Amino acid sequence: MDSKATGRKGCRQRGGLLRRDRYGCRHRGPPRATGIRGRLNGVAPHDCRSVERAPVGGGGRARQGTHDATQLTVTAGPLPRVCGRQCRPLTYAVPSLFVPPSAPLCKTRNGTHLNHLGQSSTADGVKSRAGKSDDPASRQDRSLRSLLEEKVKNNMKRERQETVVAAETEDQKGKARMEAEDGGVDELLAALGYKIRSTDMADVAQKLEQLEMAMGTSAAANDDALLSHLASDAVHYNPSDLSTWVDTILSEFNAPSPPLPPPPLSHATLQHHFDLHPAGTEQNSTITTVDIPSGPRCPAEAYHLEPLHAPAVTGRIVNGSDTQSEVSPSSRDRKRMKLCTSPPSSSSTTDAATSPAALPVVVVDTQESGIRLVHALMACAEAVQQDNLKVADALVKQITVLATSQGGAMRKVAGYFAEALARRIYRPQPARNLGGSTLDFAAFDDMLHQHFYESCPYLKFAHFTANQAILEAFAGCRRVHVVDLGMREGLQWPALLQALALRPGGPPSFRLTGIGPPQPDHSDALQEVGWKLAQFADTIRVDFRYRGFVAASLADLEPYMLLGPDAGDIDGEETEAVAVNSVFELHRLLARQGALEKVLGTIRAMRPRIVTVVEQEANHNGETFLERFTEALHYYSTMFDSLEGGVSAASDAAGSGGRRNQVMSEVYLGRQICNVVACEGAERTERHEALAQWRVRMGRAGFEPVPIGSNAFKQASMLLALFAGGDGYRVEERDGSLTLGWHTRPLITTSAWRITSAAC
Amino acid sequence: MLTREEGEEEQEEEEEAKGRRRAFSINDNVDLLAEILGRLDGRSLAVAGCVCRLWSAVGRRDSVWEAVCHRHVAGGGSSAAGGGCSTRSVVAALGGYRRLYRLCIGPALDRLAGSAGGRGSTTTTAAAAAAHHLSLSLSLSLFSIDCYERLGGRQQRPASLLFLCKPVDVS
Repeated sequence: MDSKATGRKGCRQRGGLLRRDRYGCRHRGPPRATGIRGRLNGVAPHDCRSVERAPVGGGGRARQGTHDATQLTVTAGPLPRVCGRQCRPLTYAVPSLFVPPSAPLCKTRNGTHLNHLGQSSTADGVKSRAGKSDDPASRQDRSLRSLLEEKVKNNMKRERQETVVAAETEDQKGKARMEAEDGGVDELLAALGYKIRSTDMADVAQKLEQLEMAMGTSAAANDDALLSHLASDAVHYNPSDLSTWVDTILSEFNAPSPPLPPPPLSHATLQHHFDLHPAGTEQNSTITTVDIPSGPRCPAEAYHLEPLHAPAVTGRIVNGSDTQSEVSPSSRDRKRMKLCTSPPSSSSTTDAATSPAALPVVVVDTQESGIRLVHALMACAEAVQQDNLKVADALVKQITVLATSQGGAMRKVAGYFAEALARRIYRPQPARNLGGSTLDFAAFDDMLHQHFYESCPYLKFAHFTANQAILEAFAGCRRVHVVDLGMREGLQWPALLQALALRPGGPPSFRLTGIGPPQPDHSDALQEVGWKLAQFADTIRVDFRYRGFVAASLADLEPYMLLGPDAGDIDGEETEAVAVNSVFELHRLLARQGALEKVLGTIRAMRPRIVTVVEQEANHNGETFLERFTEALHYYSTMFDSLEGGVSAASDAAGSGGRRNQVMSEVYLGRQICNVVACEGAERTERHEALAQWRVRMGRAGFEPVPIGSNAFKQASMLLALFAGGDGYRVEERDGSLTLGWHTRPLITTSAWRITSAAC
Repeated sequence: MLTREEGEEEQEEEEEAKGRRRAFSINDNVDLLAEILGRLDGRSLAVAGCVCRLWSAVGRRDSVWEAVCHRHVAGGGSSAAGGGCSTRSVVAALGGYRRLYRLCIGPALDRLAGSAGGRGSTTTTAAAAAAHHLSLSLSLSLFSIDCYERLGGRQQRPASLLFLCKPVDVS
């Protein structure tokens, strides 16, 4: 899938709560599931190791500027103040695993760039470590072990984390950007004194996890006890080269670490981790406890070793306000929480997608998690096809979790598909509203359609190209009649009326027949639309007549209804030229056997000059469910990408208006997705087919293609140039029909047809 | 004596007359002013309307804006007289050239210039390129859709041209 939004939005996964829980639970023994985590069907959270490491020492060292300190000293006593330079450097046995902040996180959480674990490129660090590694190693291990058996380990870590966070905040307020993490040494961590390559982060994270497990976990009880211990006899390595440091410790431990299936680091998790820190530090609060900053800022380190133990991020993927509220109460549980929590606004901005629970979250690289997400989706579809509902159910949950690690378009698409799959699994009888047969659906659908029209160019493209084809077909006719198979708001026709008014030779007398579905409130929407169009035509002085038809299905129409009494020769006047226009309407007819043929027959009986058909360029009517699912996944991913690229570029600062349009458009497409995936039989009306298939159908019905002229092409190109973000849109001409696509993928096609002259 | 004074007076009168002939005020020649203003671009014309009441009135003439539109948009300037008349009447019915520029052509040109500028071309070529990319028919179509939306009562703001608008920071 296109993860174009990765850089911008990054991962939203927040594993921080896991950290918090772990800390909070440590003194209670194995962490218990809380909050969302608890809802995860009894997932044993502690199965997943949470890795929370704060390179406190690094932070301290950073402050002191001694990155290559060969010996780190532990200072006992009052915990360092987060806000100021009073933080003393603390040595620590285990550096925390910080998630590299993604761009959005960094923006809000200046200085939360907790360590990115990576490979230290400093030779000095390596050497210094190597030098020390032999002798003090065992000593350190023993001391470490003893320390770690104390319950203060948590506190220390938290403290370190806080100090690190503080330090980071102090030092790197302006630098907290994710951009550093591409390749090479991670900048943010380097500023802290850790030289770690982004590529190695997964590895190091994993090892840290192992290390932590090996050292055992204990609930934090007394800060001071442990600190004094540490102060006395701890010998520490310089963890600036984090990955080798961890290797060393691990190897010395010889702790039987359970085999970790190595999931790659998750940006989301890392970000989440990040979130935890800055929130507290921004407050410049006095950190009197080593508690990790409150909820949303929990370190994200939870390792999710088995994907199916999904963390609590189910469903709460987008828009942190939800998660925020969830996170906060659970985080408050922590007794030792004395940090001022960052104001909800700041947290929520940064924790826009903070996973509320401190459950182990999958620490995966965005790209890898994207691939896994796609695999999960496909696997779920297969399971559904094979009626393997249990497996499908589990997979849907996993999909939801995985989706949180994505950003932007991919996440939304995955969300909609997961929802559709869930519907299919839990409600084999298709829901009526998905089929569009309920009245509420119809009313809401109009509004969604309107927003979709405004926000992206597909409908405008369809209208403009169809109008151009009709205009050319009507050249020289004095009486024209247009039949619109899907009237809606009639936004296509003012442009045609204006073009007819301005054509050389003057406007013809124009008749419009609009066909629409029955309205829920029995209002005559068609008539209102007709009235508006008549007003408009009056202002530009075009002779206009209108007729509306309410039909539940197009197949109910008969030719005699549409042609009406004016169609034939009247006192020697020429017959009117008929054009039939269908925008995204014909594919619905495929749900019923024979309906399309009947409608095409009706159209043919009207002897139109031109039939313009606009349809989606995708095959969502395959034989097998899996086929349809795969096609739909690709198609709608591209659509959502284009929405992301187009709308957001245009309305970046436009506040709610542009966003609302985008959200509405996404809901509109989400309905289609639901219909394609979750419905069957007559309910599944979104039976898109590709142009080639439509050619066959139209050919069978006695129509031949009419090439759409270059004028339409030029106009369409101009129109697309006007759309911000219009770089991604492409207009192509294919065998006489125009397709609009996003980058390389064609999305909708306009084609024109006339009755095969031979058959006349 | 008298003749010299008369001569001087005549000279003074002559000079005054010459001065009067030399002092040319554009405000006395409104048609010329309109012709000149019609060669500006939209923004400059709007600014010119702030000079004085006369200029404001001239700047509001639809003929001036018609010249502006045709100058900045491809495909509109060379229409035949008959075509031009019908276009004029249609556009007048839809709201006039000034409105057309404000709603459609102006934002569209800005958008095209912006995107062209974003792609690295210089401003001069951007403006030229923008003009070539926009056609009168397209802008009229968009304009007509907007006009149609406004017809339908005041229950909703016409939004079909929002895609052209520059985003406003409302934070």
